[in-house]
Amino acid sequence: MQKLIQVLWPSFLVAGVVEAIFFTVINPRELYFFGAPVHLDLLATYSIGFFAFWLICAASSLTTVYFQRTASEINHLESNQ
Amino acid sequence: MRAVTGLFANWRWGLVWFTQILFYGLPWLTWNNRQAVLLHLTERKFYIFGWVFWPQDVFFLAILLIISAYGLFFFTAIAGRLWCGYACPQTVYTEIFMWIEQKIEGDRNKRIKLDKAPMSPRKFGIKLAKYSAWAAISIWTGFTFVSYFSPVSELMESVKTLSFGPWELFWILFYGGFTYLFAGVMREQVCKYMCPYARFQSVMFDPDTLVITYDDARGEPRGPRKKGADPKTLDKGDCVDCGICVQVCPTGIDIRQGMQYECIGCAACIDACDQVMDKMEYPRGLIRYSTENAIKKGWSNKDIIAHVFRPRTLIYGSVLILISLAFVWALATRDPLRVDVIRDRASLAREIEGGLIENVYQLQVMNMTEKPRTFVFSATGLDGIRIGGEHRMEVDAAGTQAVTLQVQVPYDSGKPGANEVFFEVYPEDEPSLKLREKTTFLFPR
Repeated sequence: MQKLIQVLWPSFLVAGVVEAIFFTVINPRELYFFGAPVHLDLLATYSIGFFAFWLICAASSLTTVYFQRTASEINHLESNQ
Repeated sequence: MRAVTGLFANWRWGLVWFTQILFYGLPWLTWNNRQAVLLHLTERKFYIFGWVFWPQDVFFLAILLIISAYGLFFFTAIAGRLWCGYACPQTVYTEIFMWIEQKIEGDRNKRIKLDKAPMSPRKFGIKLAKYSAWAAISIWTGFTFVSYFSPVSELMESVKTLSFGPWELFWILFYGGFTYLFAGVMREQVCKYMCPYARFQSVMFDPDTLVITYDDARGEPRGPRKKGADPKTLDKGDCVDCGICVQVCPTGIDIRQGMQYECIGCAACIDACDQVMDKMEYPRGLIRYSTENAIKKGWSNKDIIAHVFRPRTLIYGSVLILISLAFVWALATRDPLRVDVIRDRASLAREIEGGLIENVYQLQVMNMTEKPRTFVFSATGLDGIRIGGEHRMEVDAAGTQAVTLQVQVPYDSGKPGANEVFFEVYPEDEPSLKLREKTTFLFPR
């Protein structure tokens, strides 16, 4: 549970900041997706954008959590489980 | 958790009312026939009373964030976690949710008894009532949140016809769901494990910061005694060790062990302890707002106030005032008109009849005011420069309008390559607001 929060919560905060900065600077009407203009309504673009950012940030947090284990934790996997 | 009454509880309830009337009420306020506060995402415009902000105004948002940060530094340096204890949404909604819990399930002892009891129709009914009330408030909170970004009038239409846009419905449930989860289930866990501010608060603290403090010297050695007993004759301090300060603490700490990072500064233990002191006929303030230095050196309130003015608070304070003034000044002198000139990329320069060279531009005019305006434009910078076609254009209230301009210059009045020219734009009813926008005019080589 704590690991889950460590992955999802910081990434949520950062995704919120990134979302605000990204869509302030870039008008979603000017976005292209694989060469085709994005035709979704703006609210959908903003929402999908937010979840995309969240996902990316969560991947980063997950990697951090993954690398956080100490050598002894890795060496004695069974005894720690 | 046990409920508290008293001075600081009253302050907290006052702020619960204030912040929530503001939060739930603002979207319903109208201004110039529109929603007064609307961060209109699909129009990409923020309406805040008389102002309309565009993405280009992100500067103001940045300054506002800096002001908030310095405000937080300033108040934290003076009196600790005031924000957490009285105004943070986490505190406010937890307070509201606990009030409902108390009204439906009864006080702490009744709740403990109810939770231990086996499931029965009565218990089920009580729990259902509580969860439904929480859910109703959460949904209403989610709806209010979304109505800051999507006009409330349109949302109300969706409510009447039960036809929400999928994303609007999603965000109402998302925000409502998290309100429920944070205020109903997780509560102080959010402050302890999720709040970034709680982690770096100590940076802003110093020995002169007002924090909730247990007066060790006066309270110890603690111990139970009869009502009204004189502690001196018993060889005891004033603390009767009733444990109520721990029972009322939302984060479950014992303030008598000194300052701890979990303390959100809600002052519930002060209210609780003062009531016990009254009962014992001891002076109030065994737990009180005080500073590390004041406790150590036995300062009076006057000394504490004198130490509010110290380099740290003076620096935070003056930065806060300076940035706030800059913000007000920038807002007051903001141009009610903005112009963008973009060269047409398809055609660079071409010769047309009459020995003229023509360049094509896109002129985009943003009308930042809330009335439609007619704008007049002209070109200067080269001899004989003129705009072919329209010289004026009407732009809607808080609207953007673009026009394509053919600018023509006699072939002999510029040098080959880039020449500096200017567009001048002004509203017809207020020529003094004239803006000059620089661009380049190309001559063929």
